Amino acid sequence: MGNIVEVSGLKKRYKDFEAVKGVDLYVKEGEIFGFLGPNGAGKSTTINMLSTIIKPSEGMAKVNGYDNVTEKNKVRASIGLIFQESTLDEKLTANENLMLHCKFYGIEKQKREERIQEVLQIVDLTDRRSDIVETFSGGMKRRLEIARGLLHYPKVLFLDEPTVGLDPQTRAHIWEYILKLKEKAGITIFLTTHYMDEAEICDRVAVMDNGQLIALDTPEQLKSNVGGDIIEVSTEDNQTAKKIIEDTYQTEVTEMENNLLSFQVSKGSEFLVEFVKQFDIPLTSVNLRRPTLNDVFLHLTGREIREETVSQKDLMKKNMQRGPH
Amino acid sequence: MEGIIAIWQRDVIKFFRDRARLIGSFAMPFMFLILFGSGMSGAMSSMMGGANQGPLADFDFVQFMFPGIIGMTVFNTAIFSALSVVQDKEFGYMREILVSPMSRVSIAIGKVLGGSTVALFQGLMMLIFVPFIGVSISFVMIFQLIPVMFLVAFALSSLGLLIASSLKTSQGFQMIIQILIFPMLFLSGALFPLSGMPAWMNFLVKINPLTYSVDMFKKIILQPDQMAPALREAMGLDLTVFNHIITFSEEIIVVALLSIIFVVLATMRFSRTEA
Repeated sequence: MGNIVEVSGLKKRYKDFEAVKGVDLYVKEGEIFGFLGPNGAGKSTTINMLSTIIKPSEGMAKVNGYDNVTEKNKVRASIGLIFQESTLDEKLTANENLMLHCKFYGIEKQKREERIQEVLQIVDLTDRRSDIVETFSGGMKRRLEIARGLLHYPKVLFLDEPTVGLDPQTRAHIWEYILKLKEKAGITIFLTTHYMDEAEICDRVAVMDNGQLIALDTPEQLKSNVGGDIIEVSTEDNQTAKKIIEDTYQTEVTEMENNLLSFQVSKGSEFLVEFVKQFDIPLTSVNLRRPTLNDVFLHLTGREIREETVSQKDLMKKNMQRGPH
Repeated sequence: MEGIIAIWQRDVIKFFRDRARLIGSFAMPFMFLILFGSGMSGAMSSMMGGANQGPLADFDFVQFMFPGIIGMTVFNTAIFSALSVVQDKEFGYMREILVSPMSRVSIAIGKVLGGSTVALFQGLMMLIFVPFIGVSISFVMIFQLIPVMFLVAFALSSLGLLIASSLKTSQGFQMIIQILIFPMLFLSGALFPLSGMPAWMNFLVKINPLTYSVDMFKKIILQPDQMAPALREAMGLDLTVFNHIITFSEEIIVVALLSIIFVVLATMRFSRTEA
């Protein structure tokens, strides 16, 4: 299958700040492509450029074979977009929201009814069809938005943090729908997230930090690049322990939240037996596990992906939204 | 085309669904017409030479104000309709509209038509006051009023969109509209007769597009042709520019030209909006 999204040398500069510093990637038709990175890494800016919302400062992007700058309207007709913030009209009913979308996208009259029924069924909202959206829960609104994004049978569905701000149960449901969608409609899904477990579902993951792609591969391959297993220990004297481990085993130790020291070894279980026997400083906890995508990020950047402090996060968001004006 | 209708339809659906706004829209005209108008009418008629006879005896301030109040309702509703553009930006729906394959021009036209339609309905609803104030309105007048109201509403909705396209918060928008609409209203002859004004004010009145809009409503409803010339003058119904009495068709042309200018500017400005 061909590439549905092609991006080369994509850059976005704002006055005093380069949000995206040259991104190259392609997305194959029918895959779930994940964009992983901390808040402010440039994920949303990239997705906004791909979906013609903002104009790239440099570089080229093509979606469904159409150029994102010169063939905007064709790109727009080929994509569905689900933003971080709700873009429903809450004063209208679910049906009215969907009907308007059909008209905006020029879906033929005879097909509308059938399509609306179909997408409502996918997200289990058939019985709420004539209710005002205002009365919906957060999760239901999200599902309705996904349904709406599907109405015009987009080739690519862009989901910007589709589950942010939802409770774990609703998040799980949303994912069920997304996977169902991929199976049923064979649609290509391009999503951004900073939840690790969500990125694991993707066929391929691009890791973004500071406006640049720092890795792009399948989640399995990314994790195996980390090399071996992850050992996490906490001791009564972490500073000394860190030095000793680094000297003895020639491996890089990272200090994590909750007083944990984390490092990688090739054969985890055998290593652990020897390590516990030999280590002088009293250990308070020991843990062995397979690497996760969080470790991948840690391995690549030396930092964990986590919520940045609010002020910093808001600052970044503002920069991005304000940018083009 | 379908897109224009969809955008228009959304505004119209929302107008009829919002009961509070529907009822609230009667409040201002009611106050002006009944409280202010009735209060002023006594004072007005005594100022008109205290005439209990002669042509000026027919002067009824409430009746005089009525076309102006219809005008005021149409202006306000039309120009404020663009508030929805700012609110859509604030609540995110504008993105849904802007990322669709519809052209920016259709979106702008749809918005202007939506605002004009809503303002037309509001204006027509003011006819509810007719039985209480003793004006007689015929069906012919209503059929004349409809296109004129729509034309005036179209001009002001476009002006509203032009302003809304440059703004990001609804507070900002409301502020600017208030500052703009009040002087325009006072200098339009909607609330008092345009007679015996100082020269500077006369100038402002003549360059105010609302003057010609209000005058059209007056010409339809008050039928100045059938009035005694002295009464017509006292009511300020002989609108002149450079000693030429403006005719109804000239007023239509003025407002139509302004509509075209405003809608073109608004569309151009709106097309630059980024989601």
